[in-house]
Amino acid sequence: MHNNNPGPDEPGWMSGLAPLSRRGFLRTALLGAAALSTGCASLMRRGQVAPPRYQHLSEDDALVLQQLVRVLLPTAEHGLPSSYSDVPTLQNIDGMVGQMSDQTRELLGLGLWLFERRPMASFQFSRFSRLDEPQALRYVQAMQTGNFVERGLMSTLKTLVCVNYWRDARTWPALDYHGPVTELWGVRRLGNAPLPQA
Amino acid sequence: MTIQINQGLPVVQASDVRQAAPGGQLSLRADVVVVGSGAGGAVAAYELARQGLDVIVLEAGPYIPSTAFTEDFADSLETLYEEHGSQTNKDGDLLILQGRCVGGSTVVNGCVAFRTPDFILDEWRRDFGLNDMTPDVLTPYFERVEKHLSISTNGPHEIARHSQVIKAGAEKLGWSAKPFQRNVKQCALTGHCLSGCKTDRKQSMLVTYLPWAAAHGARIHSDTRVTRLLSKNARVTGIEGEVVDRHGEKVADIRVEAPRVVLAAGAVQTPVLLQRSELGNDQVGRNFACHPSFYVGARYPQPIHPWRGALLGMYVDQFMRPEDGGFVLEVGGLGVAEMCMISEPGTGQPYVEFMENARYNAGIVTLIHDHNVGEVRWRGDHKTIDYRLSKKDFPAMMLSLKAAIRLHLASGAEEVFLPTTERLAVRDAAEIDAAVGRIANQPHALRMVSYHPQGSCRMGADPANSAVDASGRLHGTEDVYVADASLLPTSLIVNPQVTVYALANYVADRMLENPRNRP
Repeated sequence: MHNNNPGPDEPGWMSGLAPLSRRGFLRTALLGAAALSTGCASLMRRGQVAPPRYQHLSEDDALVLQQLVRVLLPTAEHGLPSSYSDVPTLQNIDGMVGQMSDQTRELLGLGLWLFERRPMASFQFSRFSRLDEPQALRYVQAMQTGNFVERGLMSTLKTLVCVNYWRDARTWPALDYHGPVTELWGVRRLGNAPLPQA
Repeated sequence: MTIQINQGLPVVQASDVRQAAPGGQLSLRADVVVVGSGAGGAVAAYELARQGLDVIVLEAGPYIPSTAFTEDFADSLETLYEEHGSQTNKDGDLLILQGRCVGGSTVVNGCVAFRTPDFILDEWRRDFGLNDMTPDVLTPYFERVEKHLSISTNGPHEIARHSQVIKAGAEKLGWSAKPFQRNVKQCALTGHCLSGCKTDRKQSMLVTYLPWAAAHGARIHSDTRVTRLLSKNARVTGIEGEVVDRHGEKVADIRVEAPRVVLAAGAVQTPVLLQRSELGNDQVGRNFACHPSFYVGARYPQPIHPWRGALLGMYVDQFMRPEDGGFVLEVGGLGVAEMCMISEPGTGQPYVEFMENARYNAGIVTLIHDHNVGEVRWRGDHKTIDYRLSKKDFPAMMLSLKAAIRLHLASGAEEVFLPTTERLAVRDAAEIDAAVGRIANQPHALRMVSYHPQGSCRMGADPANSAVDASGRLHGTEDVYVADASLLPTSLIVNPQVTVYALANYVADRMLENPRNRP
């Protein structure tokens, strides 16, 4: 098939990742990261028993996300509801993951696994969840300014974590956000529009 | 006899099929099958049903009545949008939002209503032999849908704080700015358009053409995924598909025998369905465009509360024509969940501060007249949307971004956040060129969203560069029509819903001109 969308110039190593692209919401980012990492998708946590706290996240997933919540959402320092004790950010993520298709959930698991183990010499090749907070913040910042795979993965995980804090109604009063209003305001339903006269 | 339906819709859902077809096979007959219930499908269904044709509308998504809308965007993405709001291009760096529910994208759009610009119609006539695409021919169609959908210009009370502030900035710059026209009746100013209108004020297909089609006898099925068009000796004989419940469980196979099919599943699914059915020429799926957009956010010194009031108030059309830049700036509100997705203000403390100050933010959406460089393709077990911002379109995107930053600064913004994955911000007009100049056209460098996929079954006189003829009929077939945004030969630059309504009506009329298609 004729390719009518050559796109921007790109380094050869990147176009080599293109055939890996499949579907779902992490797509190339995750699969590209798989190719770059020292890990292997077959090592995913298939068959591991999820801790009772979470229905859909494994313990390893939760550890990575917990560290991300700590780094991305230092809300208590701003007098906002705590992102773990007041607002159940991880439980909210767990609920969202439960809504995802199996494929997307699998890709997310792969992304988290890779994020945890992305080898970086400047962090002594430590797992992300084992870094202290300042180091973890630098790790996140390094991913945000990394190659396109790292940027894509980081953007996705950041959005996942932040949306699942701020989607919670307990965070809204501090922002002066009104949330759903129709019932609060008692707005009347209009129903269907009248059938047009021929 | 037609009976007005005042509330809700009679829809056959997966739960109904489970009871009615315990054997797992549903067989139906109709004069016309319409695939998709959004802007194109609903209009086509109504226009055909009111002429006496027996119409069945098949919608892949669920039926969510407006009483069940939650006014929570994160929740709505999961229930009302294609792929739970996570549909992207192949690279994963362009979110492509489409409604996936009865009523389609009309349920979740921002109500913005533009007629097709004349200079776009000029292109369609000049480059694609669409001689009917003149203002004279189309004006009656525009007038008809505008009347049906209560389209009117925003009144002063519908210009929310964010739009007022930025309108003043446009005036300062001497740029042309206008209030939007919208298909809304007595807007309640909740700001929750993108999560569906809970009180039926948005005149979406859910409360207009679909109940009207049903009043004329059209049967509407939700949860029904058409997998293939059936044909025999070059004539279409119907469709087959699956009824799947909300948990992804297949409830039944469905087969509808019908001598004609109207495809209106949207610019992603319509070409996929044709490819799966091995129908149409090699242009099916090509020429995909999508109005890649930025949401350029900025912090103001005074509270804006971007979630308050009408979601979309006014727009800048100063640069609309290609010779003037080829882009439009739309001032748009947003809620808290959306704000988490659109800017990169930093990580940790800076991010929390950004969100803490959410009420001081306002945003501008950029729309460009992008080239039709993409392709939608069925890969055997999944679809791909191969679309990257092309070299030809990158300059227009950057021009639109610079203009949005200038407009924010002229409106009094303290800091403008660039829509990039790297943290980039501008506080002074003198910094604009340097900041925007740092942006490279690379995957995952920009935060882009598409609200308007289009063009993947281009309409045109010549099969060498189009998939569908000037009447909306698939080249090389007799009885397969396309009536959605797939038809658009070039991208529109403006929100496409009115163009799609008008073209769907136009295609229905062309169908009815053929005596074989009359009841």
